[in-house]
Amino acid sequence: MPNLKDIQRRIGSIKKTQQITRAMRMVAGAKLRRAQTASENARPYADRMRATVSQVSEGVSEDAHPFFEQRESVKKVEFVVAVSDRGLCGGFNSNALKFAAKQIAEREAEGCKISITTAGKRGQEFFRRRRASQLEGNYPQQSWVTYGQATEIARAVSGRFVSGEVDEVFIIYNEFVSVMTQNPKAVQLLPFTAEGESSEDALPYEIEPDPESLLAVLVPKAVEVEIYRALLENQTGEHAARMAAMESATRNTEELVDKLTLQFNRARQAAITKELVEIVSGAEAL
Amino acid sequence: MPFDLTIVTPEGEAYRGSVERVVLPGSEGEFGVLANHERFLSPLRVGPVEILSAEGSVYAAVADGFAEVDGETVTVLVDSCELEHEIDAARADCALAAAQQYLDKAAGNDDPDRYRHFEAALERARTRIAVSRRKSQ
Repeated sequence: MPNLKDIQRRIGSIKKTQQITRAMRMVAGAKLRRAQTASENARPYADRMRATVSQVSEGVSEDAHPFFEQRESVKKVEFVVAVSDRGLCGGFNSNALKFAAKQIAEREAEGCKISITTAGKRGQEFFRRRRASQLEGNYPQQSWVTYGQATEIARAVSGRFVSGEVDEVFIIYNEFVSVMTQNPKAVQLLPFTAEGESSEDALPYEIEPDPESLLAVLVPKAVEVEIYRALLENQTGEHAARMAAMESATRNTEELVDKLTLQFNRARQAAITKELVEIVSGAEAL
Repeated sequence: MPFDLTIVTPEGEAYRGSVERVVLPGSEGEFGVLANHERFLSPLRVGPVEILSAEGSVYAAVADGFAEVDGETVTVLVDSCELEHEIDAARADCALAAAQQYLDKAAGNDDPDRYRHFEAALERARTRIAVSRRKSQ
């Protein structure tokens, strides 16, 4: 029979844990809303950028911009892996990292060399243990994803692409499907393909000074935007995952408290019964 | 005749409204856009934007991007855009001083990427200061 005092102590400590998980759930909920607004604010820019790039790159040849270059033999592939800095968000990080590890293994099996850039501490820790020599750089996330961060990553990877150090660049992140679901996803950043559903009836633009110099401005920005969008989506997913994880943790603590309270009451009753039996049998003996 | 102007940055829409005329810092020099301008695309450099609407004129400082003009609408996509009343002149002064100091010291014998970064910062700070001065006049 468990000791009354012990059960009480456990209930107390679980209730404290519950306070923490409940608070974390609320914080994650507030952050999720903020992250969603940030994603929504970025959408018009990203959509517009994509439309314009596909329209401008329609009429030009493949060598109009170095980022378009499709290399015949792909020797080295770079993966940008975006995860979160902090844990306690369910399977969010481990799903993305497992997915990344699988993708990397597949490319390695094809005989490609690999380099890895991580955004988020969890990714760095994961790869430092497994593939330290392939780690190219890490960009820890500050409390909020900024456009400047995306620019930095874009500059680093496109520099390596143009110099011929790497032949393909992918970004892996958690796609935000809904608050309950985030799916790891890989998107090709370089060589850049303007997947175009440019409206056919759109009149051609007068481009000043010429399409090539406009592309020189547009294409690097399009890559930045692609990274920015991925980071934002990843951030939204992180908070959603944390919220869900903390919600279920809170539910679990509630269940535990109920179970322990029941146990406590039973033990209390048993103790009372025992005492009564003792008194009665004591009186009988007299 | 007014037309619609939208200035979009990665952080969101910075300006949306019906305007009479807009002057933009094109990479080949400043250009003005009136209603029914021909369809036209141009890169933009760091510089001031002048927006003339029915309520008067507003200035803004933009960092590089591009402009898309098509008759009834003008869309400007830029890295950043600050309207004149949003500019923190003191901060711009600080940024200007810091960038200037770096450029003076480095004088070209440094990592070219870093040099360019500070050159761009200098340009942005100058534009901000110019735009915020115009407001106070």
